[in-house]
Amino acid sequence: MKPEEIENKVSEPFTGYGRYSYADYLTWQMDEMVEIIKGKVFKSAAAAPRRIHQEIALKIARKLGDYLDKKTCKIFHAPFDVRLPVKSKKNEDIFTVVQPDICVVCDRNKLDEAGCIGAPDLIIEILSPGNNRKELKQKYEVYEESGVQEYWVIHPSEQTLLIYTLSMGKYFPSKLFTSGDIVSSECIDGFILDLEYVFSDLD
Amino acid sequence: MKSEETENIVNEPFTEYGKYSYADYLTWQMDEMVEIIKGKVFKSAAAAPRRIHQKVSLKISNKLFNFLEKRPCEVYAAPFDVRLPVKSKKNEDIFTVVQPDICVVCDKSKLDDLGCLGPPDLIIEILSPGNNRKELKHKYEVYEESGVQEYWVIHPNEQTVLVFTLKNGSFIASKLFTPGDIVNSECIEGFGLDLNYLFNDLD
Repeated sequence: MKPEEIENKVSEPFTGYGRYSYADYLTWQMDEMVEIIKGKVFKSAAAAPRRIHQEIALKIARKLGDYLDKKTCKIFHAPFDVRLPVKSKKNEDIFTVVQPDICVVCDRNKLDEAGCIGAPDLIIEILSPGNNRKELKQKYEVYEESGVQEYWVIHPSEQTLLIYTLSMGKYFPSKLFTSGDIVSSECIDGFILDLEYVFSDLD
Repeated sequence: MKSEETENIVNEPFTEYGKYSYADYLTWQMDEMVEIIKGKVFKSAAAAPRRIHQKVSLKISNKLFNFLEKRPCEVYAAPFDVRLPVKSKKNEDIFTVVQPDICVVCDKSKLDDLGCLGPPDLIIEILSPGNNRKELKHKYEVYEESGVQEYWVIHPNEQTVLVFTLKNGSFIASKLFTPGDIVNSECIEGFGLDLNYLFNDLD
């Protein structure tokens, strides 16, 4: 093959078969975003998220950003690769790479040029219309297993927030919070979020 | 006043002030639905719920109806008045009257011509787009206080189900269930709802 032809050969992952690592992920050239969870490839929607999704993400990121200013913890938002290694941190041994909507990382040793390696302290996912099994089953499991302290799940249409808090290696769900509630984070000590602010003025 | 004029005088409740009872409620003549929670009047949207709301509601009530045939429990769908008395069952002493989307009542002595008097065993609310504070704060509280055994909350757009189960007088939240999960009821023993079926074919 001519080098030109090799260059045009795109390694397309097959979501149905095989087990893929972060090393594979780095070789893929695709238009769409993918995540790898326990070696399995999950494609994201080709279109950008809905406006309400982005508006809510930005509002929360702003509040977190303001709060974390001049503090140790850092906030990141998608697209941002979070690698969750199980045994070894070598690229070919990492089988979970996700892009949470928002995450906060307090241990700066986990940050490198490629993103975050190891569990963030806080992850926030904003659900999209339709099936959210990836967020609520697959990601839920790897966040719990890898030790993400808090996992916030937001339903933008119905304006609710649920907080999973890690205790003894297991997630415990909160009640469903909604406008009128002010929620506070346990792991980002002192951070509170007024849901009236988050869910108001979205039209 | 002529009797015709008297008939045209509508007792409109004022949501901001006063404490209203089921006795008041019975006198109101209004086009819209209202609920009373701890004496406070909550108006429902004038328009009927969205199509997806009704489709989800019908699918669940149908499954429940079939399951409960030849069993002592009965299923009802809104509009259906559920009175939750605190001290006395007299109309003027009842300050909470709600219309859950779906409820299951196993103790038939709670059923009368007007609906249900006392907590149903299972209540299911299907959230609507926008603010759901009535369902998640006000109804949540009275369901918990009055002894509803299970309270299922459904997000139809993001296709999730959360189950609150009463333990020692407090609701304990489940994780968020999605298509691929089967939600099993504890209080309606043997009833399981396949969320693939529930959320499939909603377009």
